[in-house]
Amino acid sequence: MGKIAVVTDTNCGLTPEQGLKMGVHIIPMPFYINDTEYLESVDMSIADFYKREKEGVDVHTSQASPASVLEKWDELLENHDQIVHIPMSSALSSSYDTAMMLSNDYEGRVFVVDNKRISITQMQSAIDAMYLAGQGLDGAQIRERLEAGALDCSIYIMLDTLTYLKKGGRITPTAAALGNLLRLKPVLQIQGEKLDAFAKARTSQAGKSIMINAIKKDIDERFGGDADNINLWVVHSDNLEECEKFREEVKEVIPIENIDIYELPCSIGVHIGPGSLAVGITKKVK
Amino acid sequence: MGCTTIDASKVAAMFLAGAANLDAKKEWINELNVFPVPDGDTGTNMSMTIMSAAGAVAALNDPTLDEVAKAISTGSLRGARGNSGVILSQLFRGFAKACEGKKTVNAEIMADAFDKAVETAYKAVMKPKEGTILTVAKAGADKCRELYSLGEEDLEVYIDEIIAAEEKMLARTPEMLPVLKEAGVVDSGGQGLVVVLQGLRDAFQGKTIDYKAIEAAPTAKKIDAAALLDSDIKFGYCTEFIIMLTSPISLEKEQGFRTYLESIGDSIVLVADDELIKVHVHTNEPGNAIQKALTFGPLSNMKIDNMRLEHHENVIKMSEAQAAEQKKANEKKMPHKETGFVAVAAGAGLANIFRELGADYVIEGGQTMNPSTEDILDAIDKVNADTVFVLPNNKNIYLAANQAGQLCEDKKIVVLKTNTIPQGITALINYVPNMSAEENAEAMEIEFTRVKTGEVTYAVRDTSIDGHEIHQGDYMGIGDGKMKAVGKDMEEVILKMLESQVDEESALISIYYGEEISEDKAEELRQSVEKLYPDLDVELQDGGQPVYYYITSVE
Repeated sequence: MGKIAVVTDTNCGLTPEQGLKMGVHIIPMPFYINDTEYLESVDMSIADFYKREKEGVDVHTSQASPASVLEKWDELLENHDQIVHIPMSSALSSSYDTAMMLSNDYEGRVFVVDNKRISITQMQSAIDAMYLAGQGLDGAQIRERLEAGALDCSIYIMLDTLTYLKKGGRITPTAAALGNLLRLKPVLQIQGEKLDAFAKARTSQAGKSIMINAIKKDIDERFGGDADNINLWVVHSDNLEECEKFREEVKEVIPIENIDIYELPCSIGVHIGPGSLAVGITKKVK
Repeated sequence: MGCTTIDASKVAAMFLAGAANLDAKKEWINELNVFPVPDGDTGTNMSMTIMSAAGAVAALNDPTLDEVAKAISTGSLRGARGNSGVILSQLFRGFAKACEGKKTVNAEIMADAFDKAVETAYKAVMKPKEGTILTVAKAGADKCRELYSLGEEDLEVYIDEIIAAEEKMLARTPEMLPVLKEAGVVDSGGQGLVVVLQGLRDAFQGKTIDYKAIEAAPTAKKIDAAALLDSDIKFGYCTEFIIMLTSPISLEKEQGFRTYLESIGDSIVLVADDELIKVHVHTNEPGNAIQKALTFGPLSNMKIDNMRLEHHENVIKMSEAQAAEQKKANEKKMPHKETGFVAVAAGAGLANIFRELGADYVIEGGQTMNPSTEDILDAIDKVNADTVFVLPNNKNIYLAANQAGQLCEDKKIVVLKTNTIPQGITALINYVPNMSAEENAEAMEIEFTRVKTGEVTYAVRDTSIDGHEIHQGDYMGIGDGKMKAVGKDMEEVILKMLESQVDEESALISIYYGEEISEDKAEELRQSVEKLYPDLDVELQDGGQPVYYYITSVE
């Protein structure tokens, strides 16, 4: 039984320092502001990223450089036998493809997981991987468990505006379906391959109840109805105050004592902009 | 000596007279509207409802009571529009039900029919309100039942007393509904019902009735032609002959033959003596009638007419027209989907908003023109979906929409009780594709009931409502059915109305400006509202609606 390292990237919403405290190794993702490269949570905090985005600067994100991934693997393999590598969802980025390709030279040592996660659900995957390693599973078994549970999660995001979604161009069909005449608060869903328009609302209040109802329905119908069997977070992009209120509203409906607040990573923020609120859940891995 | 029975043709004539009377007085009934808004339409709605039935009755030729009842029931049901129209159609339906299988109307049937009418109408309304057409109808039915229990047989007494009882109750409606009292009017739907009965009485007494109005009701004609031609002639061949008996026929055998004829047709005449039997039957199997007859002896004076022939040509023409229409519809047919939406809205801008939000079909209508049950059914028909949500967006269209929902057989219909345009818009926005129709209906209702609607128009007469003294020509701000503000300055009225609706929870004010308002003027209003409520989003939309200068919502 060898020693296993768990690697993920800043799309999980944690800084590399926060990751290390949990025993997870985090590769920072690069993003560009007016063609200058920054490493997420290293060169610039997520909060500052949103501030710049609000100012209207040109931002875009990119996958981690192969060199930074290989460097991390090589460093970890010096005192670990295996690596479980959890990149952001293959449906949203080619990070997975690149890591998969790179792992060909590390057969039996690096296991790249394709479980379509992002943000807090990706973070939970890393924590689950640590737990499974502690249970004595090897890299291949951990990958298998994580991939089998790929769909055991949901994220609902209410956007403050359609502006960024339209500007990004990447989710155009989604944006197009939401209409132009009225000002609306779109609610998107991320689950598995899907990043799609879930619903729309006239006011934030209505959007929030749509998200809470959707999460409640997921818990009841997909996760056995027991709030003890799920992890739940509220998430935001530069919208902390509202998110704290939202957390209380979620608690009124779903009996969970501690709900942590996280920021949505830049890779999502670049498409949805600041001012959003989100709620995410995963089924607990036992 | 009075009259103890009324036959089918007299019932038909009386009904037509009732319809003609209502149609002649519809404008007067329109003006009984509580709110002096320029859209009073109770009279028009009731008239269009009864005219649809009158058209069906007028098309009958020498009908039985059954046929008259059926024409009244079906015709009024499909033509029903507006709440009073729907309730009227349910009164007719109940009345007609009690006439089923009867040849003439006598005191007993009359008492049953009035009871049944009231019972059916009360059932059609979820929360029956006293002081309305329902109460007036019930007063008539109670009187009728009372007369019957006293052993009265003269129908003239019934008709006079029923009308008297209803008139008395009508006069009391302002005591029962304070809004009526304040506005100084009696209930318009109840008045409409009394007018129908007064027309009926005129025909009963043999007064000459002007039926011009009925012939001039094109929508009514159009509606029943299709229904009637199919349903009326059940048995297509009028078959007559004489059997020359080889031996006298026993009473038992004669009865057996009659029973057989009844099994294959109707309108049977069978007269037997020792030498011959005269037979007349309407049937689809003239051959079988003849074959059976031959077992009793040779036949003479045989005559078979195809009664459908003339009607048949009409049917062919009609079905050709329908086929063409269907083809046209199919060409444009949308791909099949799980859920579709039908919305009612007046104004190009509002219709566009509904379409963009996902409405598959927008029925042009609303305050000034309530679509009928049939109009709504047609719209539902055009939507290629398993479940169709109907957004009536007006209090006075809800019942007709509900009725359409009940009549639709091949789709699941969910009628949402959206009373206003903004409620309809919010309902549609809150639809979530991944949830079931029931879950959606529930969630949509929670959201649209949170919307506060304002409507701004002018007064058509002097009156007093909700404590407001109103003069003809004043601007009125009506918030969710309540008079919120009245005055000579439109902007002041709107701002005052909004003030009564905005609270701490409000986040968004939407303003839909009507066809009579320019964009510039609307923009000025938007800026005034924004200045007053800097913390709220204020959104301006071109609604293009008639009658209402502005429709607003606070949510």
